[in-house]
Amino acid sequence: MSDKKRVSRRQFLNYTLTGVGGFMAAGMLAPMVRFAIDPVLKSKEGGDLKSVASVDEITKEPQRFEWTIDQVDGWYESEVQKTAWVYKDDNDEIVALSPICTHLGCTVDWGSNDEYPNEFYCPCHGGRYTKDGDNVPGTPPTAPLPVFEHETKEGMLYLGEAKDRGGA
Amino acid sequence: MKWTKADMTQYLPEKQYVDTLMIPLIPFDPAGDQQMAGQAFQRELNQVFTNLIEKEYRGRIFLSPDYAYLKGGYEKEKERLNEWIQRFREQPFEHVFLFTFDSGWKRHEDDLAGRLIWVPGMSSGSMKSTETQAFVKEQARGISELIQAYW
Repeated sequence: MSDKKRVSRRQFLNYTLTGVGGFMAAGMLAPMVRFAIDPVLKSKEGGDLKSVASVDEITKEPQRFEWTIDQVDGWYESEVQKTAWVYKDDNDEIVALSPICTHLGCTVDWGSNDEYPNEFYCPCHGGRYTKDGDNVPGTPPTAPLPVFEHETKEGMLYLGEAKDRGGA
Repeated sequence: MKWTKADMTQYLPEKQYVDTLMIPLIPFDPAGDQQMAGQAFQRELNQVFTNLIEKEYRGRIFLSPDYAYLKGGYEKEKERLNEWIQRFREQPFEHVFLFTFDSGWKRHEDDLAGRLIWVPGMSSGSMKSTETQAFVKEQARGISELIQAYW
């Protein structure tokens, strides 16, 4: 064996220390890098859409659809039932309205009052909304009905969060 | 509106709109073994009912804390219950409904300061069964129509 091929004691220690040091540094850096890029990798919250109904069921006339979501509310994790009034408007676009009256939170009904057959009607204080969910001036509600985010995939309607449309 | 902090903060400034009070009457008798399961079931059923109605009409109906009492003893309970109603009426509440499955109240209906809604409940069954759920939904719809008739 020639001297050149021999690893000296100094070299051996150098290699070992570099190896172990590198390993430790990598061990420390890996989680940091992971944390740094974490926001990029995170899947988008709130984009959680639930399949509610088949698109063929939806007509021009608003219909009531119900589905459940899991909701964590402080102490409780529970299944919450959600409801929406869904219909197709004149351009064949699907519209999904929240049935919660913007006045004090009662549940509105479509065409339940004989005097206003083509309006959403709130039985509590006579609040009214037109078919596209706008509140009728002169009735208690001060804002239009919130609209659900929606998406259609493979013939199914998916609904997400209800979005407020502000006061009018 | 329920008896929670969040609902009370919403209720106080809007109280002119909330004119209906609903008190669930919950009987129990912890001394009688054979009735306990049935009474507990009726309590659960009562809560599902009143919560369902409150959810639908939360802008006008105020759901009071449960009025729990030892089964029987209506003479004594009548006074205490009327005191509750009297205190609530100071808010004021125009309509007071008492919701119960206990038929014993029916005989004392005239002495009560509120309208008694007695529903012949189910004494056994399971909260999860579809039969119970259909029963509750159907009855709740009928009861809300009854309440609306008084508005």
